[in-house]
Amino acid sequence: MTHEREQSATRLDEALGQLPRGIEPARDLWPGIEARLEPRARRTARRWLWPAAAAVVLVVGSSLLTANLLRREEAEVARQVPAGGGTTFTAATFGPGQTLDPAYDAARQELARSLAGRVERLPPEARRQLEQNLAELRRASAEINAALDLSPGDPLLEELLLNAYQDELAVLASVNQLTGGNGAATTTNATRMQL
Amino acid sequence: MAEQGAGSEFERARRAAEERALVESAKRGVTAAFATLYRNHVGKVYGLCLRMTANRATAEDCTQEAFIQAWRSLPAFEGRSAFGTWLHRIAVNAVLAQGRKRHEQLGADASAEEPAAVLADPAVGDDGAVLDLEQAIGRLPPGARQVLVLVGLYGYSHEEAAAMLGIAVGTCKSQLHRARQLLGERLEAPEVRP
Repeated sequence: MTHEREQSATRLDEALGQLPRGIEPARDLWPGIEARLEPRARRTARRWLWPAAAAVVLVVGSSLLTANLLRREEAEVARQVPAGGGTTFTAATFGPGQTLDPAYDAARQELARSLAGRVERLPPEARRQLEQNLAELRRASAEINAALDLSPGDPLLEELLLNAYQDELAVLASVNQLTGGNGAATTTNATRMQL
Repeated sequence: MAEQGAGSEFERARRAAEERALVESAKRGVTAAFATLYRNHVGKVYGLCLRMTANRATAEDCTQEAFIQAWRSLPAFEGRSAFGTWLHRIAVNAVLAQGRKRHEQLGADASAEEPAAVLADPAVGDDGAVLDLEQAIGRLPPGARQVLVLVGLYGYSHEEAAAMLGIAVGTCKSQLHRARQLLGERLEAPEVRP
């Protein structure tokens, strides 16, 4: 009896497991939703800016992937990677004008210098990807900076620029850590920075 | 094999990056980005609502309400959980709020309504076994059905489901037991479908 009950429970679990989680509605519900979406009480983006923002997101995504692959390679050769979790930065504030805060710039230079000595240890493909990603991030920052020249104080542009700078730092710091650099100390400095 | 693993890892990373970008854009008020999020998630949200309510029209209302509520709450979304997980919780709340509202409007008559409209939903497909199971789920008592859908089907823990439904964890467990028992009985002796 107990055996039969167990079999029945197993069959039920299997049947439940086979049900599709998603079911498409018979009609398109989007028009009804769209009609009720209240516009945000914030500024709207200039259309041409979104490619720059999208570039930042894609570059960070692919950099994280490169970092993951590197981490796997590191594990395979049983090398010790300094512990300490991911790179995190405290919420930054935007400095006066459109220039970088000197503390940010100093840490950026420090990370870049540290990275330059280690980048040659990366596999060629990862190195090429890293350099390409950094170039993309810097290009995006330059574009947003140029837009800020035309529209000083635009809060959306400032936010985009802030994100781009933080993403650049995160990429530099994570690669530095993963290649066995003294990333922990550098990151600690970086967490204190403000743009 | 390793290449396959790296490929799927890349695909996951790409999707996650894409979703983050869409969420950020939607937060800033770009409805086109929110429309893409809708297309990517509507199936699971509607599936959840349909199974919890066992009524197609109600499920459609709840799905719309969930996305509208998500749009309003998106600026406060901090990304601590995946967007889909966050959205599902909103959908569950929409279903529960709708149930309360219906109960207030119809009183005792609300529970007398015929559920099991899942069966009539063309999107469920025409596989006999699937239809039998969907029908059996749709005919469960509401409390047992909601627990079964959340825990047995969508993988929430008893603690999570109990918190969402506003019931004790012990009640959640006993409702699941009851649901499974009823389902087992109904599937062992299925009704003849026309």
